[in-house]
Amino acid sequence: MNKIWFVMVVGSICFLLWRDPSSVLDSMIDASGEAFSLCIELCAVYAVWLGVLELVEASGLSEKLAKLLHPLIKKLFKIDDKETEKMIALNMSANILGLGNAATPMGINAIKRLDDGSGVATNAMIMLIVLNATSLQLLPSTVVGLRSSAGSTSPSDIILPTIIVTFCTCLLGICLVKLCNHIRDKLKRKKK
Amino acid sequence: MSAYIIPIIFIAIFCYSKYKKVNTYDTFVRGAKKSIPLVVDIFPYIAAIMVAVALLRASGITALLANALSPVFNFLGVPTELIELVLLRPFTGSGSYALLNDVLVQYGADSYISRCACVILGCSETIFYVTTVYISQTKVKKLLYAIPIALICATFGAVFACLLCKIM
Repeated sequence: MNKIWFVMVVGSICFLLWRDPSSVLDSMIDASGEAFSLCIELCAVYAVWLGVLELVEASGLSEKLAKLLHPLIKKLFKIDDKETEKMIALNMSANILGLGNAATPMGINAIKRLDDGSGVATNAMIMLIVLNATSLQLLPSTVVGLRSSAGSTSPSDIILPTIIVTFCTCLLGICLVKLCNHIRDKLKRKKK
Repeated sequence: MSAYIIPIIFIAIFCYSKYKKVNTYDTFVRGAKKSIPLVVDIFPYIAAIMVAVALLRASGITALLANALSPVFNFLGVPTELIELVLLRPFTGSGSYALLNDVLVQYGADSYISRCACVILGCSETIFYVTTVYISQTKVKKLLYAIPIALICATFGAVFACLLCKIM
């Protein structure tokens, strides 16, 4: 991340130096302001979802959900921790419902619990990140909304192709992570 | 149809909590309280990535890159008009929705280009944003192959989306 960020920022500034040097600071502060208003929005969204989540947690629903998804989570993550499993189960359910913003706090909690403090991502963490980054979602509601407001005659006819593609990318992601994790474990064993 | 899903889930959660004798009000407040520290914790990470994206877009590097990469993407079946969208999607959610809106207005909501754009956006995520926010609260510095795999999947998704929109 450090490298990517450095290249993006320095590269862009060098480019702007030659094109439009006065816009550098302006666009940076604009973006930071945008980030701030996004965070205020997120704060509101998270308050609602974390409130509901606390209820799900306190009523024991999250345990039920975790039990339901247990075989899948066990296969994908190879972890053995009830709390983490609950968080991952909630994260995955929120993602499938297309609630990316609700999935984030639970994903953060799950990742925190998976952290072993070594500074290197564990196999399970990589799986969770890739699952979230490939976004298995069944209801692309924002896109459909934008499309209908742009005057489409049947705005929802993109749902089926979207589901097919999202399912395939997700599957591809899982397979690639599994493969890389497998290779990584093998290399580790060899070193020992 | 989809508008009913969330309210129904909420009713179910609230009623089930009541049934389990949970103090709904107190519990909701306890959860909601956690949102402020969480947002304070992730704000700097969001700011850093948004600043970088803003610079990238302002500099016009993405447009240049889109031009330079157009033969590759065209070969894979992705129309030139959508390359900037594919390139920016991993970095910014709001930015890519703005781009999608431009495409919808410019080419018409029911055109092939617009449908591809919709599917590409619907099946992908803001990879860098998600990754930074998720690991922001841990000590992890090395992500190994997480980002490359996510990017491969996103590219595959874009190619597949364009192909599927041709036949569906």
